[in-house]
Amino acid sequence: MSQGLVARDVVMRFGGVLALDGAAIEVVPGRIVGLIGRNGSGKSTMFNCITGFVRPTEGRIDLDGAPITGLPPHRVVRAGIARTFQTPRVDLRATVREAVLCGCYPLGRCGFVSAFLGLTSAVREEIRLREQADGVLRQVNLAPLGDQQIGKLAMGQVRLVEVARGIAAGARYLLLDEPAAGLTQSERNMLADAIRVVAKSGVGVLLVEHNFAFVRALCETITVLEAGRVLAVGTADEIAADHRVIESYLGSEPAALVEPA
Amino acid sequence: MTYWRARSNTLVLLACATLAGAVAARDPAWLDIAIAIVINALVALSVGLTFGQAGILSAAQGSFAAIGAYTTAILTVRLGWSPWLALPVAIALPAGLGHGLARLVTRLAPLAVALATLTLSAIIEIVLRSWDNLTGGYVGLAGIPSVFAGQPIAFYGLAVGMLALAVLAYENLMLSRFGRGLTTIRGDRARAIADGIAVPGLLSAAFALAAAMAGAGGWLYAHYFSYLSPGSLGTELSISVLLMMVVGGARHILGPVAGAVILGVLAQLLPAQEVQGLFYGGALIVILLVARNGLLGLVRREGTL
Repeated sequence: MSQGLVARDVVMRFGGVLALDGAAIEVVPGRIVGLIGRNGSGKSTMFNCITGFVRPTEGRIDLDGAPITGLPPHRVVRAGIARTFQTPRVDLRATVREAVLCGCYPLGRCGFVSAFLGLTSAVREEIRLREQADGVLRQVNLAPLGDQQIGKLAMGQVRLVEVARGIAAGARYLLLDEPAAGLTQSERNMLADAIRVVAKSGVGVLLVEHNFAFVRALCETITVLEAGRVLAVGTADEIAADHRVIESYLGSEPAALVEPA
Repeated sequence: MTYWRARSNTLVLLACATLAGAVAARDPAWLDIAIAIVINALVALSVGLTFGQAGILSAAQGSFAAIGAYTTAILTVRLGWSPWLALPVAIALPAGLGHGLARLVTRLAPLAVALATLTLSAIIEIVLRSWDNLTGGYVGLAGIPSVFAGQPIAFYGLAVGMLALAVLAYENLMLSRFGRGLTTIRGDRARAIADGIAVPGLLSAAFALAAAMAGAGGWLYAHYFSYLSPGSLGTELSISVLLMMVVGGARHILGPVAGAVILGVLAQLLPAQEVQGLFYGGALIVILLVARNGLLGLVRREGTL
């Protein structure tokens, strides 16, 4: 059984629009992979195909050797692929612990009936889920903020909560949709550290991002999409030096490369 | 005990209901009203769960009560079953139908759900009116065996016991991952899916539990009043329990119960039945202006249930 999250020959047609035209990507456990491209290059569509939010017209997506193409999105999550959203989708009145607890949902084994009957097994499970949530909070250094309302946090911390919620159920792969957007420099650094910690624990991370400096600092390999096709794959330095990438994505403005991570 | 500290709503309900029962027991007319209020509260609780937590605006909860009531009436009157034997059927049948209905409607937009459930309750009423040899048609079913005949205080105890069990089930659910899941679904379905929740399945389960509560309310109605006609429960009840929920506070577990008590008591003080609609409409406007989260929203923080 081959390890990794592998998407191959993915084609996605929305009516007459060809959003993906044979795109491919591979994420391995413990590594951080970047997916970049201009607006409309198909990054988000690829993201949505992998997470099951849209069903690809053609192509194949395998999770550790087993096909997950076309599974409904909640089953993809249960198979071990977590995602975050570009705009954090959170209840601002909930506390950090409650939010992460929501991410523990797939770990529950007790059924709906034992839950409303209040059986001992359901009560015990709730205690177990709370312990799990607290463990995840410690992992990403959010434990001191556990009782804070999310609405009172800074954007960088909210993104961290989203990451914690995503991996709370023990996901083996984490897909991040533009996590650095709108963050300050110090928040970006904090988030980058947390992503490294998550990857180090054996989770494969796919980073869809606009900020090339952020991707370059974090990712070992980067895939560049252009018009739904893979334009280039390589290490961060190779990509930064690739003239096709510079023309297509980074444009004629080399300043994008020098922007600090 | 931490178990009961987390389930304070059930204890509050039992305490208040015991107190109310002790007061109402002095006057048969008030005891009669108290029983009717508890039955309404049980149906109102079911909209609290479907709308207040799951976010599905259902206008069919009165019809689920009617199905529960007709089920027990038919089984006891036509087939000679014991009311106690009919009770599980009167709960399970609405639950099963509710589960199926939720599968169909929860994909729709909220307003469409309200219209679809309203249409369904109109259809159920037509069936009840037309199926003469089963439901008694327009005339209805009379002679439904009473439970605790001549002992209204015992019946009150039974009704409160069933309401307390429903509140406890609701409370248990909200303390579990499923309760958190329902809250997430109400706010943001894509978020719920990303949490790994099978949204249609969870909504259907919650809807079935709510329909079971309404069915239990119908069973109580049938065996207290001993007579059932197509107008007894149904659309009118569906709308008034929605109002009770809004008045008491949809997000609070005991909100619909509080609303049922307040509107039930105030309705007795009105000079005539005809002004009830005017009164209900006025109450709704006042509540929406003064306390958008319902009366319990004034005294309890949301989330503390």
